[in-house]
Amino acid sequence: MEIIRTEKLEKVYQDNSVPVHALKGIDLSISAGEFTVIAGPSGSGKTTLLNLIGALDKPTAGKVYLEGEDLSAKSKGQLANIRLNKIGFIFQAYNLIPVLTALENIEFTMMLRGIPEKERRRRALALMEELGIAELANKRPTEMSGGQQQRVAVARAIVNDPTIVLADEPTANLDSVTGSRLLDLMERMNREHNITFVFSSHDPKVIERGRRLLWLRDGLIEKEDVRDAAPSEG
Amino acid sequence: MLWKIAWRNLWRNKRRSVIILVSVVVGMVAMMLTDALYTGMIRQVLTNQVSLEVGHIQIHRKGFHDNPSIKLLIERPDEVEAVIRQHPEVLHHARRVLTYGILSSSYNSSGVNIVSVEPEAERQITLISKSIVQGRYLKGEAHEVLIGEGLARKLEVSLGDKVVAMASRLDGSIGSDVFRIVGIYRTFDSEHDKVTMYIPLETAQHMLGLGDAVSEFVLMVKDVRQVDAVRDSLRNQLPPIYETLSYRDVLPLLVYQSEAMAQWMMIYYVIIGIALVFGIVNTMLMAVFERMQEIGVLKAIGMPNRKVLAMILLESTILGLLGTVIGIGVGMLIYWPLSHSGLNLSVFSESLASFGVGAVIYPVMDLRILLSAGVSIPIVALVGAIYPAIKAVRFEPVEAMRYI
Repeated sequence: MEIIRTEKLEKVYQDNSVPVHALKGIDLSISAGEFTVIAGPSGSGKTTLLNLIGALDKPTAGKVYLEGEDLSAKSKGQLANIRLNKIGFIFQAYNLIPVLTALENIEFTMMLRGIPEKERRRRALALMEELGIAELANKRPTEMSGGQQQRVAVARAIVNDPTIVLADEPTANLDSVTGSRLLDLMERMNREHNITFVFSSHDPKVIERGRRLLWLRDGLIEKEDVRDAAPSEG
Repeated sequence: MLWKIAWRNLWRNKRRSVIILVSVVVGMVAMMLTDALYTGMIRQVLTNQVSLEVGHIQIHRKGFHDNPSIKLLIERPDEVEAVIRQHPEVLHHARRVLTYGILSSSYNSSGVNIVSVEPEAERQITLISKSIVQGRYLKGEAHEVLIGEGLARKLEVSLGDKVVAMASRLDGSIGSDVFRIVGIYRTFDSEHDKVTMYIPLETAQHMLGLGDAVSEFVLMVKDVRQVDAVRDSLRNQLPPIYETLSYRDVLPLLVYQSEAMAQWMMIYYVIIGIALVFGIVNTMLMAVFERMQEIGVLKAIGMPNRKVLAMILLESTILGLLGTVIGIGVGMLIYWPLSHSGLNLSVFSESLASFGVGAVIYPVMDLRILLSAGVSIPIVALVGAIYPAIKAVRFEPVEAMRYI
């Protein structure tokens, strides 16, 4: 089932009044359960594409459809609501809320959705247990390692059963072992819960884990590779 | 959870929060104590005037208050007294004859208010018997006079000296008598002390040819809250040739000052409030821009603008509420001993005395002050956070997340 479709997606930034064409007409379709990597060098437009798919930004031209809904026609409030209910985000710098514990960070988006405290606590703890981070429940971000913070960020991203999880260079701040473990975790979630992951990276170790690869260069999809199955864990 | 986030955010930069908290508390304590001091001062002036000469209620012949002529007399005082006695709320009452005259010594003379009193009844009503600094209070003997310290200085007389008082008699002729100074008094109102002499009622009635007639009855009631009710009842029962006035009617200027003071204090509150608003705007703006990236993330993961707004407003409101609680606590800690010992302003006693205030001011903290301070500070904190909160709402998540 197709969950994301883009049509002739363009994004132009103004850099000191000089137009910079970050995306030059991307046509793309992502289906449920995919584990897709958007690869490409710095400046190729990976983050811009993720931002547009994630309803964080509006395209200069073209359309983004999420489950058939045209995102370009939505107001800022509606986009925020879509991000809350349908999209999970994992950022390069983890970006947990520093004043909240790991458990509270995971509960946060459920709180925004109005889920009762007891229910959100139960769900957050169950997920932490599943991800093997239950012992971090009462720790604040500053008390956790980068890998631990990113695992909590993964939990935060998937706890609301989003339609899609977007991860922008999720392992860029992690060492290779920790990054590999994080990818294992995301693959497991993809495999066991059929969660759709799209992440951007220019790291070959990450790129090789994707089952579908979209190579971006200068704002255009240069080529696409599809693998039948993910490489084995570890 | 928003409360939790707002509360914890406040303490991320402890020094900044403490500085703004201290400024809120200092502003609030300054507001409360200044208000309490002014309220106390105005009440003190009012109370002083009531206990020095005005009493709670006065009864005169109609028109006397506007034109205190010796010809406007209560000719049948017993009739009036009978009505007064029907009011158990009245604690004490006394008769007076009031007129103007000239008091002369061997060296000087001065225009004076001649207050003729029933010494024992007057003792129950005014403070004059307790204000004697030399000699004694009146005993009701003929030719005895009490004068103020200021008047004694002016006439260059001292205790035991003779003085001559002159005043218009009822029949238009000049009445005069010789008096011996039996006491010199000093009150908190130096102006009063320069122009007021006290003599026994019967002496004045004789000197002025009044017979039994008096100028006024002055009354004290048991509970000051009953003053208006008692006044109205007396007004209804007494013949219409009399006027019955409460101290508020007699001292409209002071009552007006008291009300005007409350309004001035509101302006003072607004000025302090504006200063605090700028402090809070500055602090919250810093807090918002420091956390721009974090706010971008919150918006990126779907936090709606109204909750971003609420989060920032909550932070500031919590700061305001905390400042209010601490401010009221600190204010009361300072106020409590001051309300008992008073604030000694003897350095300014001369100028205060000319306003009818003693050298020691007793601040009064009432519900109005507590409510004004207690409500205004959280509102100020809320108002001060509106602009920073709007700024936070306007952040675009993508732009804000790039901000470091």
